[in-house]
Amino acid sequence: MSDTTHRESIRIPVTGMTCSACQARVQSALARQPGVDDASVNLMMESAAVTFDPAVTNPHALVSAVRNTGYGAELPAGDLSPLAEQEARDLSQREELRAMTRKALVSVAAGVLAMLLPMMLPMHTPALPFVLLALSATVMLWAGRHFYVHAWQALRHHSADMDTLIAAGTGAAFLYSLVATFAPGFFVAHGVAPNLYYEAVIVIIALVLTGNVFEARAKRSTSAALRALVELQPATARVVRGEAVVEVPVSSVIAGDVMLVRPGERIPVDGEVISGSSAVDESMLTGESLPVEKGAGDRVIGATVNRTGAFHYRATTLGADSTLARIVRLMRDAQSSRAPVQALADRVSEIFVPVVICLSIATFATWFVALHVGGASPGTATVRAFAAAVAVLIIACPCAMGLAVPTAVMVATGRGAASGILIKGGEALQRTGDVSTVVLDKTGTITEGAPAVSDVLLAPGARRGTDALLELVSSLEAQSAHPLADAIVRHAKAKGLAKQNIQSNEYLVGRGAIGTVDGVALVVGNAALMRDRGVSTAALDDRASALAHEGKTIVFVAADGALAGMLAIADPIRATSRTAIDRLRAMGLAVVMLTGDDQRTADAIASAAGVDRVVAGVLPEGKVAEIARLQREGAIVAMVGDGVNDAPALAQADIGIAMGGGSAIATEAADVVLMRSDLDAAVQSILLSRRTMRTMRQNLFWAFIYNVIGIPVAAGALYPAFGLLLSPVLASAAMAFSSVSVVANSLRLRRANLS
Amino acid sequence: MTTLDFIVIAAALAAIGVVIWYFFIASRGHAPMRHEH
Repeated sequence: MSDTTHRESIRIPVTGMTCSACQARVQSALARQPGVDDASVNLMMESAAVTFDPAVTNPHALVSAVRNTGYGAELPAGDLSPLAEQEARDLSQREELRAMTRKALVSVAAGVLAMLLPMMLPMHTPALPFVLLALSATVMLWAGRHFYVHAWQALRHHSADMDTLIAAGTGAAFLYSLVATFAPGFFVAHGVAPNLYYEAVIVIIALVLTGNVFEARAKRSTSAALRALVELQPATARVVRGEAVVEVPVSSVIAGDVMLVRPGERIPVDGEVISGSSAVDESMLTGESLPVEKGAGDRVIGATVNRTGAFHYRATTLGADSTLARIVRLMRDAQSSRAPVQALADRVSEIFVPVVICLSIATFATWFVALHVGGASPGTATVRAFAAAVAVLIIACPCAMGLAVPTAVMVATGRGAASGILIKGGEALQRTGDVSTVVLDKTGTITEGAPAVSDVLLAPGARRGTDALLELVSSLEAQSAHPLADAIVRHAKAKGLAKQNIQSNEYLVGRGAIGTVDGVALVVGNAALMRDRGVSTAALDDRASALAHEGKTIVFVAADGALAGMLAIADPIRATSRTAIDRLRAMGLAVVMLTGDDQRTADAIASAAGVDRVVAGVLPEGKVAEIARLQREGAIVAMVGDGVNDAPALAQADIGIAMGGGSAIATEAADVVLMRSDLDAAVQSILLSRRTMRTMRQNLFWAFIYNVIGIPVAAGALYPAFGLLLSPVLASAAMAFSSVSVVANSLRLRRANLS
Repeated sequence: MTTLDFIVIAAALAAIGVVIWYFFIASRGHAPMRHEH
């Protein structure tokens, strides 16, 4: 973006939205505020994410814009951590659900009573209509009040939603019955039986409310994964203060505090182990089922469970920056994001309600004329036409359409998190599902990413032994930051070798190092460096080539101008990589490996890992160019990397998948963050996305087909042929069922088997 | 068809016209195009 003006973002909690039409209304109200760049309202999360220009507008104006549409909004509590915010939302959702359940139960009881009363009382009891009137008025005003309030608010803004349909349907039935109660003579005079629809009004409200309750419960379980994460947060920590260990609330721990964790306890905050060792169960965050060994210097994550030993550790990141808070925030943002497929559902549900009202009016007129022309009295014609028109209003429910996509996004992101896969929202889900080519970084993705010296060979006739050689080389490499140098130094340290004095040193990017150690002139590096320095590697070339074919990287060592030996460094392929790559190919995906290694080593790793295409010798910039080239060929590319040095490549790819998760750069650049270092998690993320897209398509199909079939049936399309007509009461049951079935279909994703 | 039928049809057409006018025509400027991503 060339626009450099300052922008701010805010998340405003919005209450009272019940369907996608409400959401569309709040969203367009916000979008048309001056200074608002972007507004996205999420029905499921009951919040609006707004990006605005603070020079033009402010959060107060945005909140009142929402309130003007008739919905509740409040300024977000600024200092709440994502965890506390989530807890607060849970509490209010629970209370809302409880109130809704109570209303539904009372309405159902009233409905049963209203149906039984006319059967139990003697015919034409004069008081009966008034008893039913009182009953239905109570249900309408108490339990169904919000339908009418919302419908009215929507009407004032020239829009209509599903509450409008319910309000219009039940309102029409109620008014009709009201006239029949107080002025039966008026009907009789026109040859119409003064029929009462009170019980229909009550039963419709009861059924819709019952449907809402089921829907709200199901919606709650779609965010169960997020709630489970929040609940992981421990309440107290044992902090070492001087000699004593005191238990304090987690919120009062500060960075640098030293803490004690005993076996079986939950690790309170993120930190670094100082002393002691243990096995830590990180499965709740990473999906990794085996406990991870931790010793001094290792990082531990808050909310994971310490299994075997006690240890002391120092707190590092806290509060909103902690790993758990970051995951919760990422998931919450993901769950409130919108998938592009939603656009269709949005557009339909916007024009849907007015169209249904027109259809209902047309239904009444058609039925009336048809019956009347067919010889029925105006009275009979009115009653039948009226029932059909009300059934059309009631059965048409844009609700299932509004739920089809967001529920699937919520369940899928939750399901992913349970396996240590964090997907950043609906758009990422949709694109991940469409991926055609998977590009894998070699180091740290296919391989362990921890290179280790596997062979040390001496040149024929060399004067030094292997240990002496290693001692020299590791002394020279000790000051280099290169991973291969690191591997050599670790190897020497593990063998207990001493360090020698360095007289001079120079490190050559992409080639190796030269210097003088303990009076010996050393050249350590690849074949090209040896050639440059006039050192013949002929004596070891055969062995070098054989080792390179095993996928090992060769480092030659020359001492005082003559070849002294060589080291082979292996970065072993992860145990799970081969099967994961096979699965990717079985899923019909092209797999490409990118690496900075030379062709021989790369080919060897690729064939061991089962990769069919290798691009060797690429620098980090080269990775971006290679991905861009694949994209020009029409591939939808997912790039899997460890996120450390391939952030540009992750960003270039259509989908960036960062492994070994949690690092800030990785979470920033990637669309999918894998909490465990396992290529199989990448496979699972693609599989999950494909399943989710399938679920969304099913949901949309069922939501549409339901209306396509339901409305004509309610209007009486099947009557001429089969004599089939839907009563308003049946229509309301069908409507409740459609929403519940869509949510239930999304919930099936929770049990998706990804292995 | 009797006069009553014609009255019902005319009333229905008028009602449909009002609904379309109210939600699609009179709403212009009141509920502008939704925000698209």
